[in-house]
Amino acid sequence: MNSPLRRSAGRRTIPALLAALALGLSACSGAGGPTAVPEVEVSFGPTTTPATGDLAKAVWMLSKEPSTLDPDADSATSASTVLANICERLMQLQPDLSISGHLAQKAEWVDKATVVFTLRKDVTFHDGTPMTADDVLYSMKRHMAEGAEESDEYANVKSLEKTGSHEVTAHMLDEDAIFIQAMAGNGGIIYNRKALEAQGEAFGGPSGSDACSGPYELGSWKSGSEVVLNQAVEYWNPAKAAKTETLTFRWADENAVVNALISGEAQGAYLDSPAAAVPLQGKDNVAVSQGPATNVWSLIATERGILKDANIRKALSLVLDRQGIATAAFGSLAEPWKTPVGPGSWGYERETFETAYDALEGAPAKPSEADIAAAKQLVASSAFPNGELVIASDGSSVRNVVSNALVAAAQSIGLSAKIITVPPQQYGDFYSDETLRTSADFFSDEYYISKNDPVGFYKNGESTARVNYVGFSDPAYDALVAKAKATTDDAARAKLSIELEARWTEAMVWVPVVQTPATVALNAEVTGAPSSAAFIYYPWAADLGAAAGK
Amino acid sequence: MSTSTTLINAPRKRTMGYGAAFNTCLGFLVLVILGAVLAPWIAPYAPDEIDFSAIWTSPGAGHLFGTDQLGRDIFSRVLFGARESLIGPLLLLALATVLGVLIGTLAAWHGGWVDTLLARITDVMFAFPGLLFVVLVIAVFGKGPATAILALALAYAPVIAKFTRSIALAELSRPYIDAYRIQGVSAPMICLRYLIPNMSPALLGYLVVLFGEGLMSLATLSFLGFGAQPPSSEWGLMVQEGQAGIIQGHLWPTLAPGLVIAAVVVAVNIVGVRLSDQLNVKKP
Repeated sequence: MNSPLRRSAGRRTIPALLAALALGLSACSGAGGPTAVPEVEVSFGPTTTPATGDLAKAVWMLSKEPSTLDPDADSATSASTVLANICERLMQLQPDLSISGHLAQKAEWVDKATVVFTLRKDVTFHDGTPMTADDVLYSMKRHMAEGAEESDEYANVKSLEKTGSHEVTAHMLDEDAIFIQAMAGNGGIIYNRKALEAQGEAFGGPSGSDACSGPYELGSWKSGSEVVLNQAVEYWNPAKAAKTETLTFRWADENAVVNALISGEAQGAYLDSPAAAVPLQGKDNVAVSQGPATNVWSLIATERGILKDANIRKALSLVLDRQGIATAAFGSLAEPWKTPVGPGSWGYERETFETAYDALEGAPAKPSEADIAAAKQLVASSAFPNGELVIASDGSSVRNVVSNALVAAAQSIGLSAKIITVPPQQYGDFYSDETLRTSADFFSDEYYISKNDPVGFYKNGESTARVNYVGFSDPAYDALVAKAKATTDDAARAKLSIELEARWTEAMVWVPVVQTPATVALNAEVTGAPSSAAFIYYPWAADLGAAAGK
Repeated sequence: MSTSTTLINAPRKRTMGYGAAFNTCLGFLVLVILGAVLAPWIAPYAPDEIDFSAIWTSPGAGHLFGTDQLGRDIFSRVLFGARESLIGPLLLLALATVLGVLIGTLAAWHGGWVDTLLARITDVMFAFPGLLFVVLVIAVFGKGPATAILALALAYAPVIAKFTRSIALAELSRPYIDAYRIQGVSAPMICLRYLIPNMSPALLGYLVVLFGEGLMSLATLSFLGFGAQPPSSEWGLMVQEGQAGIIQGHLWPTLAPGLVIAAVVVAVNIVGVRLSDQLNVKKP
């Protein structure tokens, strides 16, 4: 027998069957009891116990290989997790999600249309050259360029200008309360112009090198296997120098990440899905911690078809079983959530935000009979009462659960729905590839913002916003965004932000699912890495070191 | 005809040894097919019925094979999944057979340069890794069960073509073919009415064996995300979806469909080999 796919399958199947049976026997002992999700206790806070000693090397797991290390091309979580240690920003996000000056020691609004960044003079890039105002200007213009991933952070910037040897001034179209905060994200990364330009097309790819100033240098990127970072030899800020000499990033799917942590092959990982923490509980050699985040899993509506009708979006939100998703996909380590941005964003006026949040409707944790009836009415009154919905999944466990739950929700109100599977490597393209978006009405993603200010998220609902694919357009909303951005008084801005939240929820531009706290798993021998969502921008690996007594 | 005597006589001696295995396998396959046909009536739940209050239930009275990560009943899913999982390989073999028999018969009938050309084409297809070829086809035409079946049919066609050619050559050397030629029967007529029907017992035996492989290949593609799409309960896809539970100790969502795939493939192979023997099929 000879086949194109498998040769002599007949001979292989019997050992395979025996192996499967053996597995079955072992399963009987492992999977006892009626259900399922064990109660998990994890510590919650912005940081883990500080490290007491240095480490020669550590292996860190990612959920997937970075597609590029050029955040202007694409900035997915895995790439940002690596990049946070290599590149530095004008401002710096701290583990408690507050913002402080970094490469810019001071950033201030000198009048209603001008922001002045006063740069540090002691910063040097990895090749030893000092950071200049020209580098800063070049970097900011690169981020601002049309089509660049971070260009939306610069939407209010009219022009940028070097106003001193260590001073850069941004002339703004409008007052923008979150612009300075945004400079702690990927939009605030400062490159060594000379080093970046010398690399040409190679920059950001496996054959490129870095052009930054962070506590780690990009050592090597072996495409398909690992990215290695080395401690920067002469880091300009010795007080915050890396405690670990060599940090190797590898990637694998969730199960393999968990196995690598349990077996001690990897020293740590920021878990994509808090559900992965469930099997790690009770392991002596791995500690799991959670921390505040702005992350929320949302169903992001596209311009493809029936979701252009707000009634359909609202109906689906009403009947989605968020509690079920939180349990099934996240082992109850996530929380059903009514807005597309998590409580980590309530950086000011926390109580006001919390009260407003509690009063929100339209996104129940578990749909009631009344919710289902209301949803059916919404669908009946929509332009597409018998519409078909396509949801994109990538086969990963969370997207699988979210997609299937949405299909069930859609079917419960008379809409037909189907799932298409897009390869995980391609999934991030939904943000940038219009053609891809025509294949699905919803894609699901964990969306986060770098600012602890909800306005930083709600600007996504502006009629011109890049991720407002569904074409939500409300002049009053746009005006509110502009006003909120320009309001520097916290109480006033919180009020505007809450109004934005209400309008966004009323139109249900995206359908929020659950908020996921940041989750880090660390081998017992290492500690120090922050447990909050700061790891995407803060040089977390510099804090990673040996645990006391190890 | 003397051939028919050998066809019937030869296997009798050989099959005595594994009669019980054959019967068990045949019985199992009949059960699976019955399960697939009667799924809507005998399945206790709908295959896509989500119940978040019962996720990852262990096998027991309420759920014979337990439930998966969405609280769906695995037994019902396996039953319904049998439909897609069994019809897929049938379709793919039907398509591959049409193509393969056409190429094989043409090559054997014409001989000469046509044979050489077709042999080179099938050789090239042989040389190209099957799975890679299938993935390539899927990349061009998009994924989904239909493309997976089409792509696999194209990948399987050369195997069937080679097999057909070898038995067609043997068949063509028989005197009855010349007899029809002399009577003035046209070539297509001889092939369609006499040659192919005479080859069909041998082909059928071979195809039964290929069925197991087809099922496995389709399940593989679904596992990789190229074949059936959720919320389908195609077995390969079920194995893939169940993976998330493995690390948490929930093996049934993967094990149940995995075992069924393995058992069906083994059963089909045992039944197929016996059938091939009975029909005196020689492997190419």
